[in-house]
Amino acid sequence: MAYEKLLLKNVGRDDSHTLDVSLAGGGYQALKKALSGMTPEAVLEEVKASGLRGRGGAGFPTGMKWSFLPKLGDKPRYLCVNADESEPGTFKDRLLIERDPHLVLEGIILSSFAIHCHTAFFYIRGEFQKGARIFEQAIAEAYAKGFLGKNILGSGYDLDVLVYRGAGAYICGEETALLESLEGKRGLPRIKPPFPAIVGLYGCPTIINNVETLANVPFIVERGAGWYNGIGRPKNTGPKLFCISGHVKKPGVYEAPLGIPFKELLNEHAGGMLHPDRPLKAAVPGGSSMKVLPAARCDVLLDFDSLAAAGTMLGSAGGMVMDSSTCMVGALLNLAEFYEHESCGQCTPCREGTGWFTKILHRLEAGHGRKEDPDLLIDVAKRVEGNTICPFGEAIAWPVQSYVAEFKSEFDDHVTKGACPFGGAAKRG
Amino acid sequence: MPEPTQPPPPAKPGSAPAAAPAIELPAAGPDEVALLVDERPVVVKKGTSVLQAAERLGIAVPHYCYHPGLTVAGNCRMCFVEIEKMPKLQIGCATQAMQGMVVRTANPRVKAARESIMEFLLINHPLDCPICDQAGECRLQQYANAYGRGESRFVEEKIHHDKGVPIGPRVVFDGERCIKCTRCIRFCDEVSKTHELGLFERGGHAIIGTFPGKSLDNDYSGNTVDICPVGALTWKPFRFQARVWFLRNVPSVCTGCARGCNVELAVYDHRIHRITPRRNAAVNDYWMCDLGRQTYEKLYDRPRLERPAVRAAGAAAPAVLPSPEAVDRAAALLRETVTRHGAASVAAIVSARLTLEDLFMARQALRQAGITRVVVPPHESGEDDALLLRRDKTPNARGAELVGFGRPDAAATAKLAGDIAAGHVHGLVVVGEDPVGDGVLKADRLATIEALVVIDAWQTETAKAAHVALPATGPYEADGVVVNFQGHAQRLRRGVPAPALAEPSWRWLRELGRRFGLAGSWTTASAVFDQAAAELKPLASLSWRSLGGDGHRLVSTEAGPVSGAPAGTQALEP
Repeated sequence: MAYEKLLLKNVGRDDSHTLDVSLAGGGYQALKKALSGMTPEAVLEEVKASGLRGRGGAGFPTGMKWSFLPKLGDKPRYLCVNADESEPGTFKDRLLIERDPHLVLEGIILSSFAIHCHTAFFYIRGEFQKGARIFEQAIAEAYAKGFLGKNILGSGYDLDVLVYRGAGAYICGEETALLESLEGKRGLPRIKPPFPAIVGLYGCPTIINNVETLANVPFIVERGAGWYNGIGRPKNTGPKLFCISGHVKKPGVYEAPLGIPFKELLNEHAGGMLHPDRPLKAAVPGGSSMKVLPAARCDVLLDFDSLAAAGTMLGSAGGMVMDSSTCMVGALLNLAEFYEHESCGQCTPCREGTGWFTKILHRLEAGHGRKEDPDLLIDVAKRVEGNTICPFGEAIAWPVQSYVAEFKSEFDDHVTKGACPFGGAAKRG
Repeated sequence: MPEPTQPPPPAKPGSAPAAAPAIELPAAGPDEVALLVDERPVVVKKGTSVLQAAERLGIAVPHYCYHPGLTVAGNCRMCFVEIEKMPKLQIGCATQAMQGMVVRTANPRVKAARESIMEFLLINHPLDCPICDQAGECRLQQYANAYGRGESRFVEEKIHHDKGVPIGPRVVFDGERCIKCTRCIRFCDEVSKTHELGLFERGGHAIIGTFPGKSLDNDYSGNTVDICPVGALTWKPFRFQARVWFLRNVPSVCTGCARGCNVELAVYDHRIHRITPRRNAAVNDYWMCDLGRQTYEKLYDRPRLERPAVRAAGAAAPAVLPSPEAVDRAAALLRETVTRHGAASVAAIVSARLTLEDLFMARQALRQAGITRVVVPPHESGEDDALLLRRDKTPNARGAELVGFGRPDAAATAKLAGDIAAGHVHGLVVVGEDPVGDGVLKADRLATIEALVVIDAWQTETAKAAHVALPATGPYEADGVVVNFQGHAQRLRRGVPAPALAEPSWRWLRELGRRFGLAGSWTTASAVFDQAAAELKPLASLSWRSLGGDGHRLVSTEAGPVSGAPAGTQALEP
């Protein structure tokens, strides 16, 4: 059965970022439907019923998140769109922002409508200069067409959308650090509770949703939760963008229903392994901050619950594929350096632990490892995990624990041989 | 990065509790909650943190970043506790105590977490305790001893930062000792509201610093040093001066202005090396100003008056006399002056820097000698600020008022100076003031004064001109009571001995009074205070003992009736 592309239905067209192309492809039909005949509560219920789960990493049910908002009061409610896509190996939101901004924008308007929000903030990663420019154009077009601003489509509903460019910190993708950054402060995660739904941006009730999450909303509104439920697997419904990179023939973003087999993504979408003589060694199906799976355990379905059962997470679906030429110590060192660089420095375990990992891994890779180092890595990771203000701690603790545990002999080899068996240290210079 | 978890859905009403606590919880009022901490029940106000609830039971939960006078940052992660039904350990500082909570602060899981945090904090710490001024009062040391693993597993090169950075004129910053608890930043944002400090860079390279063009130069910068739990911020005047374990901290009261911040005098080798604030919620909370921290310096940085000095007519240099004879000489001079020119030609200048005992005894002695013209000069500079500092730089102006001398009065002082300059004043008693040095009086206008008796701690210009100069104790060298601008009576405690023959001013005044027939044999400040309390209405029913460590707020400091009048009604706040 041919799968009907939804999220990526427009991205291949010329000028897909323009309103004209969007409208020609059926854009803003859901908005017209919602504003002409649905209450905000009905939109919220539809999203709840669809089973849509957040595409940013945790897979939390979107409708339930929205329903955590306190009763309407004096304070405004805000929607913050998390377009700070920064996870290594994840590049799906960028495609939507640059190639189908109107789909995202329609999702933002519908979602804002559903939660009684009249000001939405589009927090976009600083490096996405092109995306920010395109999205601002899209917003301008939408204002001109009456999809934004006062009295949208004559419905009496008002909404403004503002683009805010981040300054290039990975941590600002963490929702409370995003709020701090948006408020003009240093992007440090907040202590929770209170959760943003209660005390968020400028102290007001706030919902933070991922770009891809919001891009699902128009389809749910237009075609109904029942139809949406038919895509994917139970409790893991809907279309999903899968990123795949590493040792594959065709790295890229592919759309498929949640729950497709990893091997199907690898072999049918991404064209299989890059070098025929180098078999799959390991994969991180969910993104750099998730646990690694050795090749033997890679026959998994790509959805939230299946990957959790397999001991990892779907995360942001930033799949990374490593072939037999990969040094796992070097791969982990590469990740550890990223996380050391991006740790915000606020809380003790992450600030101190991330640097410690890097230093141990550097020694191992350079052939100066001690036999206790692999166990020390795991032990330190356990002391970081669960003890930090935000999930950044887990984002490095999980890879460290899984790389060392799954490839323990390779780490030991670095110690006993006194060098990287893959020539890694030399390669790294 | 995984997205943070969302709050769990609210528990279904009527669902049975997992396990009834073995210990019955006490009843809690409508704005209270009852919980168990380490199997012990406690009732606290709603909004109280778990850490504070534990403290209520005397259970110390170790912490670095939490400070009761600042907002909660939750970054050090040292105050982890285990709370039933919560899968992760929770930080006690940021977790509100809830009805029925079951908290454990010292089980193996919590201890393991503390050990982890200690290890993380120490891996990049220089461990330079032998030359660190904080050593001995350092939380890293205390907690490493109590909760650390006792050995290091870290064999890597430590992260290096700048050391010995003059982050402000009075504070030095060591980037390597810093644990980034941000107490100093929060102090400057929330208390001094001067906003000089921020956290810069990221991760292990994160470092406290001043914003561009700024220096940690506010009136309260020393508090950042006090609240720094490690040796990252040090007080310049105290650096490398003394090992803190040799210091004796004497609770006292600052003499720098009319606030009277409660302080501790750090004494070693009969010398004050540091003054730090002591908490008093009614006066200064946790804080004090930088000026107050330096009020001990004048004990050491200018020549002291150490022995009674008597200047004979025509003699170039004063002669040192034994104390009783010096007092005899002072009394004789004053008596002769009264005889020659009448009591109205003799005046006194007394200081609002003196203690209540000094002032009370001045009143008694001067009255006995028939001297009725008494002025109290003001000492003002700057303005009252929003936090602690007062324009009035005397610690006891309200005390002077209470004794009956009135508040410091510039006009009365100027009038007396004019009368002296005009030759109308022939005898002058000066206690704790330096009108010549302060420019109120010109030395060459003292020619008509036949009896100038000065009681002071220093060799002031006035003391140099005196016929009799009697050495007094300086601030922090004698016990006594001062009344701050709020009417808060507090006990100043002696921290260090006075040099040579110096005595509290009240003792000289008692002796002087005796020469004029003053009865009474008070030998201690407490006896003088209790006498004053018996005679002065605002102090009625107060005693030296009852002032305790936190002092007492008086309803009024208006002068009481003269001796013999009824003590009046209860004049104290509960």
